[in-house]
Amino acid sequence: MKLARAETTKRGGQRLLIAFVALSLAITTVYMRESDNGPLHGARRLALAVAAPASKVGMLVTTPLRLVGNGFSGFGATKREVAELRERNQELLATVAQLEEARQQNDRLHALVGFAQRHDLKGLGATIIGRSTDSWEGSIVIDRGARDGVREGMPVLANGGLLGQVVDASGHSARVRLITDQRSGVAAFVQRTRAAGIVRGSIEGRLSLDFVDAKHAPKRSDVIITSGLGGVYPKGLVVGDVTRVDTERGALFPHVTIVSRVAIDRVEEVLVLVGQTGADE
Amino acid sequence: MSRRWGLIAALAVAGLVQAALAPHLAILGVVPNLLYLAVVTVALVEGPAAGCAAGFAAGMMHDLLASGPIGPSALVLTLIGYFAGTLHENLFAEGWLAPLTVVFIAGLVYETGYGFVLAVLGSGAGFFASLWRLMLPGAVYNTALAFLVYPWLARLLQPERSMTTLRRLL
Repeated sequence: MKLARAETTKRGGQRLLIAFVALSLAITTVYMRESDNGPLHGARRLALAVAAPASKVGMLVTTPLRLVGNGFSGFGATKREVAELRERNQELLATVAQLEEARQQNDRLHALVGFAQRHDLKGLGATIIGRSTDSWEGSIVIDRGARDGVREGMPVLANGGLLGQVVDASGHSARVRLITDQRSGVAAFVQRTRAAGIVRGSIEGRLSLDFVDAKHAPKRSDVIITSGLGGVYPKGLVVGDVTRVDTERGALFPHVTIVSRVAIDRVEEVLVLVGQTGADE
Repeated sequence: MSRRWGLIAALAVAGLVQAALAPHLAILGVVPNLLYLAVVTVALVEGPAAGCAAGFAAGMMHDLLASGPIGPSALVLTLIGYFAGTLHENLFAEGWLAPLTVVFIAGLVYETGYGFVLAVLGSGAGFFASLWRLMLPGAVYNTALAFLVYPWLARLLQPERSMTTLRRLL
């Protein structure tokens, strides 16, 4: 009797397995074949909208912990007469930390606005509210979405240069794929030699410049900028600096490693390029 | 009925924590996968049917929260949930070492399987780069977290069965 029940349960589990595997394969196939306005892409935008507040809370919860960890390590009141002074000191330190945070944010925003103005770009400032939930991708979530004018495909800058591209936009948030993501590709050229190539990300989060003509290979410290080809990124945005060039004998293209000028792990504010005011595109 | 709601609640909380906190717990770019931990725990506690259902639901959540194709994680987690669930009768007892071993091996299988499906879909990366950069560190990190998460979640899902916790081990 018990054995028969176990056998029935086992068959039920197998049927469920087959059903879910078939459903997963069907969903994958539909996702790969549907347009950006398809139901699964819509479901992802909905998920982004639902998860954005949670991401924001996560960011808010962890930021003070980091600040407290950095600012107050080593403090501890042991005597009664110094307790009040310590308390007062901590209040002042908290105030100073808040003011310092505001000053730094102001500096960063000024730098971003200045960067956009220098490149004749029309930008929309945004704050990062979330990061990748998966090790296999490099992405961030920002607090601006379709209702603010953000659309899929728009380039995103940070202080120092190009950061990525919007891939999903819900009402009040958007997901940005970083240029370091393995699926990312940016048409670029070497500023000094004008040799064109494609900047690609990798699973390690490193950047490389592929398909550059070996005759016009860059040197260390050469600057890589966007070429404007393909129409996604405007021409002239800094992508990074060349740190290493390996040319193998017989290879068609040299292997060029570049490093972004943007501190991608620490960036907090970004600029979404919603248009251009007069660049040569 | 309440048990089913317990499973749903566990997965929902895992999804919420994955979206809100997991990105901030990343070490050297490796983000812990709490949804995967929830699936393996459910599978070991409840068996293959619940395991593959939880795997599908958690995989869909994982895929929707990320920016890659939708479906690969659901596919791999469904399989992981089912096969981890087949060990249900043999593993869920007083022990803790065997479940954690399953978590580690299943973690490696999950990361490898996910990477394979991504490669088939044209979004993959080099195998050895992924192995050293993501698969092994990810499996180790998730197993370390399972050391803390598994006993409590297992006890919550099936309170009538005894479970060795970290405190009792120490």
